[in-house]
Amino acid sequence: MPGSLKKRTVHHWARLGAPVGLAAPFAAQAAEPGKGLNPVAVGMFTVFVAVTLVVTYWAARRTRTTRDFFAAGGQISGFQNGLAIAGDFMSAATFLGVTALIFDFGFDGLIYVVGGIAGWPIVLFLLSERLKNLGKFTFADAVSMRLASTPLRTLAATGSLFAVVLYLIGQMVGAGKLIEVLFGIEYQAAVITIGILMVLYVSFGGMIATTWVQIIKATLLLAGGSILSWLVMQRFGFSFDALLREATAHHAQGDGMLRPGLMTHDPVSTLSLGTTLVLGTAGLPHILMRFFTVPSAVEARRSVFFATGFIGYFYLLIFVLGFGAIALVTREAGYFDAATGKLIGGGNMAAIHLSHAVGGDVFLGFISAVCFATILAVVSGLTLSGASAISHDLYTNVFRPHATEQEAVRVSKIAALGLGALAVMLGLLFEAQNVAYMVLLAFSIGASVNFPLLFFAMYWKEFTTRGALLGGIMGLTVAVGGIVFGPTVWVDLLGHESPLFPWKYPALFALAASVTGSIVGSLCDRGPRATRERAAFAAQYVRSQTGLGAEGASVH
Amino acid sequence: MQHIYRQIQADPRFHELERKRGRFGWTLAIIVLANCLWYMGATAFFPDLAFARLWGEPLTEGGSTTWGIVIGFAQTVVFILLVGLYIYRANTEFDNLKDAIVADARRAAGE
Repeated sequence: MPGSLKKRTVHHWARLGAPVGLAAPFAAQAAEPGKGLNPVAVGMFTVFVAVTLVVTYWAARRTRTTRDFFAAGGQISGFQNGLAIAGDFMSAATFLGVTALIFDFGFDGLIYVVGGIAGWPIVLFLLSERLKNLGKFTFADAVSMRLASTPLRTLAATGSLFAVVLYLIGQMVGAGKLIEVLFGIEYQAAVITIGILMVLYVSFGGMIATTWVQIIKATLLLAGGSILSWLVMQRFGFSFDALLREATAHHAQGDGMLRPGLMTHDPVSTLSLGTTLVLGTAGLPHILMRFFTVPSAVEARRSVFFATGFIGYFYLLIFVLGFGAIALVTREAGYFDAATGKLIGGGNMAAIHLSHAVGGDVFLGFISAVCFATILAVVSGLTLSGASAISHDLYTNVFRPHATEQEAVRVSKIAALGLGALAVMLGLLFEAQNVAYMVLLAFSIGASVNFPLLFFAMYWKEFTTRGALLGGIMGLTVAVGGIVFGPTVWVDLLGHESPLFPWKYPALFALAASVTGSIVGSLCDRGPRATRERAAFAAQYVRSQTGLGAEGASVH
Repeated sequence: MQHIYRQIQADPRFHELERKRGRFGWTLAIIVLANCLWYMGATAFFPDLAFARLWGEPLTEGGSTTWGIVIGFAQTVVFILLVGLYIYRANTEFDNLKDAIVADARRAAGE
């Protein structure tokens, strides 16, 4: 029994933060359970697209400068930004994947919920304000403030692009499969639709449109989740205890699923997964970028407050949905494949089946449309941050230091188009592959390259360019190597007997490598440039603490 | 801008600000991380310890809700409260101090 549970664990963990876990289970399925085109889903989604395209048109007319394009002119309020950050975080993976975790493992799912929220307070206490005070459009601005701009921006942009492209492929493949099932349209058509829409949002509307698409979607997702939870709780007379009692009666583990320990006992994996979740989130470029869209440090703080609140609330909903699915989906034979006894459409469909169980076809359509919107909003944010790494970090600051604003915006639009085309092509290419490892790798890079770079640059006086490069390259190498030679790629994908790197999550080790490289590289750096860089820390420190001299900030 | 930065650096209140804010931020961060480690780690490291076992116990005799679930929800609430606490102090005490320091440094620099 423990053996079989452990094996399942691997697949379920891959889902967390990994929409792509969606890919594999759906591959074999025809258009169940939507049973072909679901008119409500298509109708709802069409309305969403129409509204967001109007928003994009409106945003395009307001987007003139680079600051408009990359940072929405710094005009987003703390509340709006909090909703947008929550939206970036609440992907289809969280909604479907975490519900599925609870559906399978009960209580242990809650442990991951707690880990997922804990990242936000840490970002607020240690990062957000200083980041806002130092940066302009990307986190590389803050990193390269006193260090050598060319190598550092190249490194930071490489880390960002790696993370963005991997994450995009993961989203594309997962989304294509999901939409194929929910809407009953072809995989290719789904991927191309997503590609076209995200390029439209990003190249015409820039950050303003991307933010508003995210806000609209977050509102829809929170509303959809709330209604679904309400319908579930109604079935149990709004008694959580009654819900749990019914759930334990239907779960294979019975009472056992209300206790910890069904999922994992391996301390190293747990710690490493924790690192991936907490620091990976704090190191993803499309989330860091959001702190530049608010006008001041005060609004940056408010953003985190609202984001934490919305994400916390959303997770509470998911907890109800997970147990609701155990109680209400498990007992309906119709949701299971008669031959295999598995959930139709794969494990990730628990939330979708639940929406059908409590709300019928109409509500199923609504939730499906919300899932599509969710995917679209997240890939748009990713595309924008990839475009900013290319245009702002590489083009304007490395290749063409004298580029005009118009040129920078034009390059971003071309970059967005290029990234969109690349994502569609790779999405089509990887259709039949299990790409779960790509999202895992994206998070690992966030946790072990981007996060330590930013942290050291802001906190450690002795940090120098050489330390940054050594640390960044070591972290990137271990993260990539750990995934490639680990169980996910080396064994599952390449079919080798046993992994060269035994753990599924390399983040803990990659982080250790990156920190070691940064410290050793910095301490051994004794050149005149290093001396200048250390001397420049004092001024940077004052700016990071006071916001004096910060881009676009109004200091009174 | 450099001379204002130097002016601020020389202000003892700036060091008071950095010390207070730094200590406060790190304390809260460590509370959050410790909570996380305690909650996530207990099952992985010490599944047999008394408090890890307590999580499996129902809250009330014959009820289904376990302590572990209640504690999990409580963690979320605690995180949100800590965020609120930090923001309250940052918006009032820290920002007031910061504004005073910046204003004085500007005046001294003749702006």
